[in-house]
Amino acid sequence: MAESNRASTRAPLPHELEINERDVARRKEFLEFREEDAATLRKLNDVAQKYADPVIEDLYRHFLSHEETQAFFRDPHVLERVKRLQKEYFLRLTQGDYGADYVANRLRIGTVHERINLAPKWYLGAYNFYLRAVAKWLQETFAKKPEDAFAAFLSLMKLVFLDIGLAMDTYIFARDSTMRKQQEAIRELSTPVLQIRERLLLLPIIGVIDSQRARLITGGLLEAIRANRAKVVVMDVTGVATIDSKVANHLLQTVMAARLMGATVIVSGLSPEVAQALVALGIDLTKLNTVGDLQGGIEQAERILGYRVVQTGTEPGSSQLPA
Amino acid sequence: MRYAPPGDEEQLMTGQAEIRVAIASDGDIVIARQKGRELAAARDFDKTEQTLIATAISEIARNIVEYANSGEITLQPVEHHGRAGILIVAHDQGPGIPDIDLAMKDGYSTGKSLGMGLPGARRLMDEFDLVSTPGKGTTITMKKWVR
Amino acid sequence: MPVPILKQGDILIASIQAALSDQDLVRLQEELSERVGRSRARGVVIDLSALDVLDSFATRTMRNIAYTTRLRGAETVVVGIQPEVAFAMVQLGLTLEGVATALDLEEGCAMLRRETKSS
Repeated sequence: MAESNRASTRAPLPHELEINERDVARRKEFLEFREEDAATLRKLNDVAQKYADPVIEDLYRHFLSHEETQAFFRDPHVLERVKRLQKEYFLRLTQGDYGADYVANRLRIGTVHERINLAPKWYLGAYNFYLRAVAKWLQETFAKKPEDAFAAFLSLMKLVFLDIGLAMDTYIFARDSTMRKQQEAIRELSTPVLQIRERLLLLPIIGVIDSQRARLITGGLLEAIRANRAKVVVMDVTGVATIDSKVANHLLQTVMAARLMGATVIVSGLSPEVAQALVALGIDLTKLNTVGDLQGGIEQAERILGYRVVQTGTEPGSSQLPA
Repeated sequence: MRYAPPGDEEQLMTGQAEIRVAIASDGDIVIARQKGRELAAARDFDKTEQTLIATAISEIARNIVEYANSGEITLQPVEHHGRAGILIVAHDQGPGIPDIDLAMKDGYSTGKSLGMGLPGARRLMDEFDLVSTPGKGTTITMKKWVR
Repeated sequence: MPVPILKQGDILIASIQAALSDQDLVRLQEELSERVGRSRARGVVIDLSALDVLDSFATRTMRNIAYTTRLRGAETVVVGIQPEVAFAMVQLGLTLEGVATALDLEEGCAMLRRETKSS
């Protein structure tokens, strides 16, 4: 089977999906695709050579006459290249060797389809068109012996279903990966770290905190401390849905990790009721530097950093510049 | 005596070579965790997870040096349902752990632990299994999966 | 592998270059303790920015260094802990409690200068 490779940078290869030799063998067995089928298909190769071009032309005429599939072939270069690949695939179906390389190629198709957003309904529809086109020429070729035509068609159908199964599984896997990445991106966006002054970061936490999000928050904050050389962080928890002992421990961990990097964390927005409840649960909040609200937190942070905020006495919105 | 959380037993080994590190002195602790980091990086763990893995290995390796004098740590790539992972097995033929529950007691929240680093290592990894027989030795099996 | 220890004014700076074995760490502790006594340094900065792992033994050693140097009249600041390392440490429950920390060498020295100024 294919050698080990990194999952993040290219198409999922067989082993990542558990599509190893054993799995392919089980699929073939379930489809009852045997050596005789491979032999039958091999015998069709000469005839396939003859019919390849007309079948491919028909197939693409079909694509181009439907709006949804037409969209993929606006570029004539793309169309030519894909037709060529399709012809290769067509001939491959009757080459008689359906091992590791064959499978690897089928899996790549699924990933490509996911990437270009070709929905399964069109892909399956196309395969159906294929099978019907082939059925016709098999009928012509074996006009004198219709049983042979039927047998060949059944073998081909088994192989085509193997292909569809493999391509669909990779499509689904690629889709899951895309969705997981999108979810992660959303999670990251939901915990921004803002630099509001030099050496001062604001981390507003909103919503539900589970251990995965806590991990992201902590990691993001520590990176931001390094990047901004922050000395003080105001971590505002006003918007945190529920602060139970688990969440409190996550917050404590974030505070302690920041401290290891030399940053002081001021926790703002922790209501007295919640604080009392946590203390009652045995959580040691003495390590936490807490302030009632966000404004208070920022003011304290500025004091620590040596800022002194002075109101200039000018009316807000007036055109007069401060002295 | 056995300590193991309920887990999914199905696993696929990639059949790739395992890395063995003999643990006999404190210098070996550094080697073991560096090899662990290398393998973790090869498995596509991010930097933070690489550090967690290396730290867990450090704790386990030190246990071997401190309590068993010598032992061995094996590192191996593993896979499960398309996810890459790392398998770490620490084995020694030392005196064994007489009271596993006590050793595994997580003193994290109270700041007290027996200092064996076991609950810590467990917290850093996704799967953790410990088998110890007094007089015979200890085998710790840990796994971590790429998110 | 001995850790280079520089003297800058009345501050000793120990810059750890690479992964230290347990023995190296113990040696560092002894070395710093001796140097502080000898040079009457008022502060010690230990730069851990090159370390990719800080496990329980290393953490304990840092705490011991801070303790013994304090007994000899010097304050210790640990600097340069990397984000991933800080993360792993809190997961493991290692907090370096009682030891001053700062972002880097510059911050660590600044912190010590403020301390020694006010004392």
